[in-house]
Amino acid sequence: MEKREYRHIGKPLDRAEALEKVTGRATYVHDMELPGMLYGKSLHSPYARARIVSIDTSDAKALPGVKAVLTGEDTSHLIGLYMIDKRIIASGITRYQGEVVAAVAAIDEDTAEKAISLIKVEYEKLPAVLNIDDALEAKILVHEDINELEYLKGVFFPQPDSNIASWNKTITGDVEKAFLESDFVIESEMYLPAAAHTPIETHVAIAEVNPYSDKIKIWSSAQSPFAIRQLMAKSFGIPEGEIQVIVPYVGGAFGGKAGVHLEPLAALLSKACKGRPVKVQATREEEFNQLPSRAGMRSKIKTGVTKDGKITGFKAYYDWDSGAYADYGVNVGKTAIYSGAGAYEIPNVEIHSRTLYTNKVFSTAYRGFGHLETHWAIERQMDIVAQKIGMDPYEFRMKNILEPGKHTISGEIISESTGSPGDCLTAVAKAINWTGYQSEEERKAQMKTGKVRGKGIALLQKAPAMPTSTTTSAIIQMDGDGNAKVLIGAIDMGQGANTAMRQIAAEALDLPIEKVEVVWEADTHKNPYDWQTVASKFTYMGGNAVIRAAEDAILQMKKVAAQVFRCEADKLEHKDGYIYHVHHMEKRLPYGKLARGYAYENGNAIGGVVIGRGTYIADGLTNLDAETGQGLPALVWTYGAHGIDLEVDIETGDIHIFKIASAFDVGQVINRKVIEGQIIGGVLQGLGSALFEGMIFNQEGKLMNPSFTDYKIPTAMDIPDEMVPICIENPQFDGPFGARGVAEHPMISVPSVVGNALYDALGINFYELPLSPENVALAIVNNKKED
Amino acid sequence: MISKFDYYKADSLEKAVGFLSEKPGTKVLAGGTDLMILLRRNKETCRHLLDIKGIPEANVLSFTPGEGLFIGAAITVNEICEDNGIREKYAALSEAADSLASYQIRNRATLVGNICNASPGADLAAPLLVYNGKVHISSKEGNRVVELKDFFTGVKKTVLKENELVVGISIPDVEPGDSSVYLRKSRIKGHDLCNVGLALRLTAERELLLAIAAVATTPIRLTELEASIKEKEITPELAEWLGDEIRKYMNPRRNSIRSSPEYRLHIAGVLAKKGLLNLLEKGAN
Amino acid sequence: MCNHHENKNCFEYVDSQMPRVFLELVVNGEKVQELIDPTMTLLNFLRINLKLFGTKEGCGEGECGACTIIMNNRTVNSCLVLAIEAQDADILTVEGLSKDGELSVLQQEFIKYDALQCGFCTPGMLMSARALLDRNPDPTTEEVKEGIAGNFCRCTGYQTIVDAILSAAKREREELR
Repeated sequence: MEKREYRHIGKPLDRAEALEKVTGRATYVHDMELPGMLYGKSLHSPYARARIVSIDTSDAKALPGVKAVLTGEDTSHLIGLYMIDKRIIASGITRYQGEVVAAVAAIDEDTAEKAISLIKVEYEKLPAVLNIDDALEAKILVHEDINELEYLKGVFFPQPDSNIASWNKTITGDVEKAFLESDFVIESEMYLPAAAHTPIETHVAIAEVNPYSDKIKIWSSAQSPFAIRQLMAKSFGIPEGEIQVIVPYVGGAFGGKAGVHLEPLAALLSKACKGRPVKVQATREEEFNQLPSRAGMRSKIKTGVTKDGKITGFKAYYDWDSGAYADYGVNVGKTAIYSGAGAYEIPNVEIHSRTLYTNKVFSTAYRGFGHLETHWAIERQMDIVAQKIGMDPYEFRMKNILEPGKHTISGEIISESTGSPGDCLTAVAKAINWTGYQSEEERKAQMKTGKVRGKGIALLQKAPAMPTSTTTSAIIQMDGDGNAKVLIGAIDMGQGANTAMRQIAAEALDLPIEKVEVVWEADTHKNPYDWQTVASKFTYMGGNAVIRAAEDAILQMKKVAAQVFRCEADKLEHKDGYIYHVHHMEKRLPYGKLARGYAYENGNAIGGVVIGRGTYIADGLTNLDAETGQGLPALVWTYGAHGIDLEVDIETGDIHIFKIASAFDVGQVINRKVIEGQIIGGVLQGLGSALFEGMIFNQEGKLMNPSFTDYKIPTAMDIPDEMVPICIENPQFDGPFGARGVAEHPMISVPSVVGNALYDALGINFYELPLSPENVALAIVNNKKED
Repeated sequence: MISKFDYYKADSLEKAVGFLSEKPGTKVLAGGTDLMILLRRNKETCRHLLDIKGIPEANVLSFTPGEGLFIGAAITVNEICEDNGIREKYAALSEAADSLASYQIRNRATLVGNICNASPGADLAAPLLVYNGKVHISSKEGNRVVELKDFFTGVKKTVLKENELVVGISIPDVEPGDSSVYLRKSRIKGHDLCNVGLALRLTAERELLLAIAAVATTPIRLTELEASIKEKEITPELAEWLGDEIRKYMNPRRNSIRSSPEYRLHIAGVLAKKGLLNLLEKGAN
Repeated sequence: MCNHHENKNCFEYVDSQMPRVFLELVVNGEKVQELIDPTMTLLNFLRINLKLFGTKEGCGEGECGACTIIMNNRTVNSCLVLAIEAQDADILTVEGLSKDGELSVLQQEFIKYDALQCGFCTPGMLMSARALLDRNPDPTTEEVKEGIAGNFCRCTGYQTIVDAILSAAKREREELR
C-alpha cells in the first residue's frame, strides 16, 4: 500500500474529553454519589491459608448505621472467567492473605470501617503453598476440589490432584534431536516477582439490586462492562439482560480492571440492604493486597544453536506463581505457548506453560498479558546465547527473525501484512548507535571512572489473547445538523479509544472532526457489544467496526439520495458531509437532510432514521491443538523493539538511562500524540518492573509492601533523559487504514533491554528482576570477589 | 480511621502542656504527615488531638551568633530548605531536608516531628546529631533539655513522657571553616525513605564527625569511629580507608524489606568515601 | 432504634458528645462556613461537603499526590490535613484554576501536549504545576521534574507533562510582558 495523507488519520488531535479532565469535571465512579447510597467495606483474612472456625458479626450488626453484614454463609455464588473457582466471600477455607471473609454496608465509610473492626473471626492457621516448587510438589492443594471445578474445556487443562490450574503446551518438531545436533546448547533460569498495576483510581463499584425484580444496575471503574454483565449473570443465575453495567471515566486500569472484581460483592450488599445502592471502593492497601496482581514467574529455557547463529531448538518451562484463583491467570499462561519463543522462526519447539495455584493474592490480566514476563527470559536468553557463540546480538536476532514466508511456532505463516520485527529492531539499533558489545578492555577502562556505559537491544511481539470468535460493534447516528454520534462498546481508560474512533469515523464519513463525537460512558443497555477493552485489539477491531458503521450509514443515505436524484446509488459519492452525484455535482444533499428521512416538497417522505451499524468478528482463528499447540491464535501481530543507552554507577548500583528508543510496527498511526503517549507511558511502566517494582511476601505468605511506601513506582524524577517513540508503518492490510494496536507492547521487553545493557556495561548477566540499585551493586561486588 | 477525637489548638505553651497533662489519650499534631497515616491505619488511636502550630515558641526559627540555631516544633521542612542562612552554616541539615519525602509533604512535615517520630531512618536526625543537637522539652512539671544523642531509645521510641512536649531543637553555632554534607541512598530517584542516610561534618579544627540513619534501631552518632579517626590526617586516602572502616561500626537488621544488611553496609561505605571526598573538595574551594 | 445511653457498643463519637467544630475558610475565592466533624480530612471536606470532586484520593497516605491542593500558597496532600487545620485558610483546587469558563494557560497546555491520559492524577498534577510556576516562573527541566515528583502518574510517563509545564511557563512569562 502506498502511504496516503489523510484528513484525520495520523493527525495529533486533542482528546475531546481533555477539557473535563483538566477542570476536574470528569466524574469517575470514585466521585459518584447516588441517592440512598451506602458504603461497603471488607474484612480480610490475615493468613495465607486458614480455616474459618467461627465468625461473630453480632457487634457489627448492632452498630447504628450498619445496614448489612455478610459472611461466606450468606452467599454460595462462584465466579470465574475460565475456571469457576472463586467465592465472592470466602467460606470454610481462605486461600490468600487479603481474601475477603466478611463485608458490611453502612451509612458512611467511618461507620463501615468501625463495623469491620467489630467482627470477630476465629481462624485455624493451615500450612500453605507459597512458591512455585511447593505448588509443583503438591503436598498441599490450594484447591482441594480442583478435580471438580467447572472450567473451559479444550482450552485450559487443569491437572488432577495438583496445583496446576492449566498446563498448556506447544510441541513441534523434535527439540531433543535438535539439541543433539546443535553446536551449542545453552540453558538459563530466570525469575521475576509479582507486580502491582497501581492505577491511581483504585477499584470501585456501585451496585443497585432492585428488590422487586432482582435486576442489577452497576457503575464500575472497569474495562469490560459486557464481561461484567456476562460473568455476573452466570454467577447469579439470571439472564444477562437483567444486568446493566455503566462505566463512566476510569482512573487507569492496565488490565487490573479487565474482569469482574468488586461488582459481585457490591451487588450482594445491595441486595442485603433492600436494594439501596452500595459503593465498594478499595483502599490503596486493598488495591495491593486484595485485588489481583501480575503473576511472578520462573522460566527455564534451553536454546540449541549452530555456531553460525541459527536457532535449531527451543525448550522452555514457564511456571507461573499465579496465586489463589485462576481469574485471567490461566489465559496469561496460555499465551506463552504461542508467543513464548519470541519473534523468531524456530523449527523445533517444546514449551510448557503451567499456571500454578499458590496461597497468595491471585493474578489477573496485566498490560502485556504474560509477554513482559516471558520476554524477560526470551530476550535475555537471546543475548546470553549471542555471548556464548561470540555473535553480535543484533546480527543473531536478525538471523532468526520472522519475515514474510516464515512460520511462527504455532504454524502461522507471516505475510507482508503482518508487520516487520526486523524494521523495528533496525530502527532502535540505529537510534542508540548500536555497534555491538564493548570489549572487556573497554569495560575495565570505564570501571576505573566509577561509571560504566552500556547499550542493549531487545525485540518483542504480541497478538491479542482472546477467544477465536471475539467480536465488536459500533453504531453511528446523525442529527439534523449532520453531526454524527458514535457508540462503541469499548471504554476509554486513557488509552485513547474514543479519540481514535472519532478520527476513524470522521475519516470514513468525511466530516470535519467537530461534527463527530464518540459518546462518552459505556452502558450495556445502550451501547453495542464489545467483548472487553483489553488485548490491544480495539483500534483494529473497533476501528473496522466503526468504518463499517460509517459505510452503512453512507449507504443508507445514498439509497435515499438516489431516489431524490433519480439515479442509481452507485453514481453517488460522499464528501465533506454531503452525498453528491459524481457527474452532476450540483445534485447534492447534506447528511443532515437525510439523517431522519427525506421529505419532498409535496410532503411525501422516504427513507427514515439513518442508523449506521458495523460489526467485526475475528476471522480465521482456530483453537490450539492440545498437544502440539498448532493453530491460528493471533488476529494481528504487533512487533516492536527497544534500544537503550545507559550508565551504571558501579558503587551504588544506580542506573541512569540516557536514552531508550522504542519502535513498533503500528501499520498506520491514527493519532500521533495518543500513540506516543501510550509508548512513553508503557515504557516507563516497563522500567518500573525492570528497576524496582516487585511484590514482597514473607515466609508466611503475607504481602509485606501493600503501600506506596514500599511498593515504589516511577516518579517524574525517575524518567530517562530521552524516551524516543518510533512508529514504523508497514500497513496491516485488513486493519482500519492499515492500523494495528500497540497499547500493551511498550512495556514488553523493557526489563530485558535493561538487563542486556547491563551485560554490555558490566559483563554480568542478570537473571532476576528487579534490577534495583541494591541488586546491581551487590552483583558487582560479588563479581569482583570471584575475579 | 476509627479514632474519634476532639481537636484543640493551643495558643500558648502553658495551655498546651496543661492540656497534655489533663487529657490522657492525647496525640500531638504538628505537620500530621506521620500521625495521620498512623491514625488512618489504626496503628494509633487517640481521643484528643493537640495542635501545637499556634504556640509562639514552636514557630521560632532563629539564629543567634555565638549561640546557634533554634528550630521550633512547628517549623516545616520546606522552611528549613528555603533558609539560605541554614544552608550556608549547616549544609548537611539543608541537604537532608531537601531529600525528605516530596515537596507537598515538606510543606507540612516538621523537623521536630521527624525527630519525635524516631524512625530508625529519620533523615533529619543524622545532621542534627553531628551538630550536637539539643531537644527542648516542656511539661506541666517544667522544662528539660536532652542531648539528641540520648533522645532516641529504640525503633519509634524516645525519652519523651506522655505529658511532655518538644518545643524545639537547637544546635550550637559553628566556627567559620566548618563544613558538612548529607548523603543518602534510596530505592528510587523520586521520593523514598532512605536505605542509608549519612551526615559528615568537618569542623574548623579538622575534626571529622559522622552520624548515620537506617542502619540500627535508632539514628546513631559514630563516636567510636570518630575517635579512631581523631589522630589521622584528613586526606583523600583517608576517604578510601573510611569507606571500608565505617562498615565495622554498624549492624543493620536482617528482616527489613527495604534493603538487605549487605547493601546497607556496602552503601554506607560508598557514601562515607564520597562524603569525605566531597568535604575535602568543598574545603579546597 | 438504639438507646444510646444503654447500648455499650454504641458509636463512640455519638456517645462522647464531642462537639462539631465550626470551620471558616476561603475556597476558590468563595467564603465557606460549615460545622464539621473534627476527624474529617480536608480532602473529604472538599469532596463530600463542598462537592468539589476534582481533587481525588489515590492512597490516603500522602504518597501519590492525587489529593494535592494549594493551601495558603503552598501545595499540600489534603488527605493528610484535617479540615479544621484549614481554619481561615485560602484554598485553591483544580476547580479554581479556570475563570469564567476560560481555561488557564496551564490547562490549555496540558491539553495541547496530551499531558494526561486517564486524567485521574491531573487535578493534583495541575496544582503542583501551578505552585511550581508561582514560585519559579522559569524552571529548568530538572526543576519541573522535582516540582511534580510528588504526583504519581501511571499513564503518561511524565514526559508530556514536563513539556506542557515548560510550555505554559514560557507562555505565562510572555503574557506578563
